[in-house]
Amino acid sequence: MRTLGPGSVSSLLKTVLDVVYFGLLVVAGALGLAALAALLFRFDPTMVKGIAIDGAGGQVLTRPEVLGGLFVAIGLYVAGVLIILNRLRKVFVTLTAGDPFHPDNVARLRLVGALLAGLEIMRYLVWAGSLALVPGIDRTGPSISLSGWFSILVVFVLAEVFREGARLRREAELTI
Amino acid sequence: MAIRVDLDKRLYDRRMSLTELADRVGVTIANLSILKTGKARAIRFSTLEALCRELDCQPGELLVFVPGPLNEDVD
Repeated sequence: MRTLGPGSVSSLLKTVLDVVYFGLLVVAGALGLAALAALLFRFDPTMVKGIAIDGAGGQVLTRPEVLGGLFVAIGLYVAGVLIILNRLRKVFVTLTAGDPFHPDNVARLRLVGALLAGLEIMRYLVWAGSLALVPGIDRTGPSISLSGWFSILVVFVLAEVFREGARLRREAELTI
Repeated sequence: MAIRVDLDKRLYDRRMSLTELADRVGVTIANLSILKTGKARAIRFSTLEALCRELDCQPGELLVFVPGPLNEDVD
């Protein structure tokens, strides 16, 4: 089974990434509309009271600043995932074209690594923020994900491998 | 580039065009231009052999050392 080039595994993965990316774009659009609606509703106290959330933190979650923060956090998370998917799509375009060591792939993979790290850190920050804002929240917070951080490091190492590959490709191109 | 491939003089002596040399040696004109302009990072023995054969010269007559800064690393 071929892994690179047209009609290969890379091509299949590129299609999967396309579907997930555009699906998430639609979800993000809906989320944006929901956030906009929430911003409009915050000026109407009766609507805010109408948002019923069970649990001890329910009252806190109806506060506009908490709701706003929640939407910002979710928005940032979705934006991060969208950018990661977008960069991966571009990487897979080069893999499908049979040109894995395209120089641009280095920056793309570095960005993916940085965003994955950022999203992981944001997960901890959101958890810490929720502890401060929502007293009754379940305190079994996020554990440090070793496999997550391992994956992030692998992405950074892969970026360096691609950088070396791009350098060798350039050398080969200029060897006559 | 500290090492230059001196093709122009050889081509002039042989009354040969770059296109004709490219055809005879079996490399593209673009690659010959890279050699001529000093952008090449390396030259294969097979290419050098073909150039020497077609231009009827020795490698030392084609390669010229020009004092100057080394090529910066490509990234």
